[in-house]
Amino acid sequence: MHIPDGFIPLWQAVIYYIIALIVGFYSIRWARTSLDERKVPLLAVLAAGIFAIQAMNIPIPWGTSGHMVGAALVAIIIGSPFAGFLVLTTVLIIQALFFGDGGVTALGINIFNMAIISSWVGFYGFKWLKPVINEVPAVFVAAWASLFLAAIACAIELSLAGTFPLTLGLYFMGLYHAVIGVVGEGLITTIAFLAIKGVRPDLIYREEVGSHG
Amino acid sequence: MDKFVVGGLVVAILIAIMAPYLASSDPDGLESAAEKIINPEVSDEAVLESPMPDYVIPSLGEDPISGVVAIIIGVLVVFGLAYGLGYVLKKKET
Repeated sequence: MHIPDGFIPLWQAVIYYIIALIVGFYSIRWARTSLDERKVPLLAVLAAGIFAIQAMNIPIPWGTSGHMVGAALVAIIIGSPFAGFLVLTTVLIIQALFFGDGGVTALGINIFNMAIISSWVGFYGFKWLKPVINEVPAVFVAAWASLFLAAIACAIELSLAGTFPLTLGLYFMGLYHAVIGVVGEGLITTIAFLAIKGVRPDLIYREEVGSHG
Repeated sequence: MDKFVVGGLVVAILIAIMAPYLASSDPDGLESAAEKIINPEVSDEAVLESPMPDYVIPSLGEDPISGVVAIIIGVLVVFGLAYGLGYVLKKKET
């Protein structure tokens, strides 16, 4: 879902850059008040793993492929969408500058979709679903939704840019990413969550009972 | 560095080694949609030339080994950058 240069008019690209900077400012504030030193290596390992897995496209029908975003996994494990933002933004910057994956002018919009929308959908989706459908199904559904809704947002943005027609854009982006979301995001996120929980349950964020948040 | 970090990095590097062999080369969801419905006046020419376009080292060619090297470099750079960023931004001990 990495948007290349040229798909978004520059004046619109600037708007997404500004939104990314504002959320970046609040993410730095979150880290300064809430990012525990013991979580820093975890953050770095998640970033490295997500970069690697994003290079592995999984085939889906219709001669198409797709890969995990990973923002939901980070937000759920660390316990904040701001952590998802910081990790995905790091990955997206390296992809755009070193690998030509996602345009440099489109970095703001790619951060908007994959670091902001995916992180917040993944985190709050998990938080709201967990009491209703239990922890592991909540991880799966929240991860699926984090990819699907980012793709829907992408289709709307590309239609605002005049690059895709709205209805067909929603149809194809929605269809492909609904499928990519099942294996590419939902299943891999669930496996990674269970693997981390199996070896280091202490690393997984737990909401304190009776406390804020 | 604790075992978890080393283990996590090993998993990331194993994925990096497998990716060029296993990854589908079909267009991704966005590219596939673009092939069908993009406004023909839109072009996707990159503004900036990147050193390792499409996850290969240009001097090593389009070989899977070239992809493995490029992705491992990326894994290490992302790890270092995220670690540094986390270290600088982390909560101050009180």
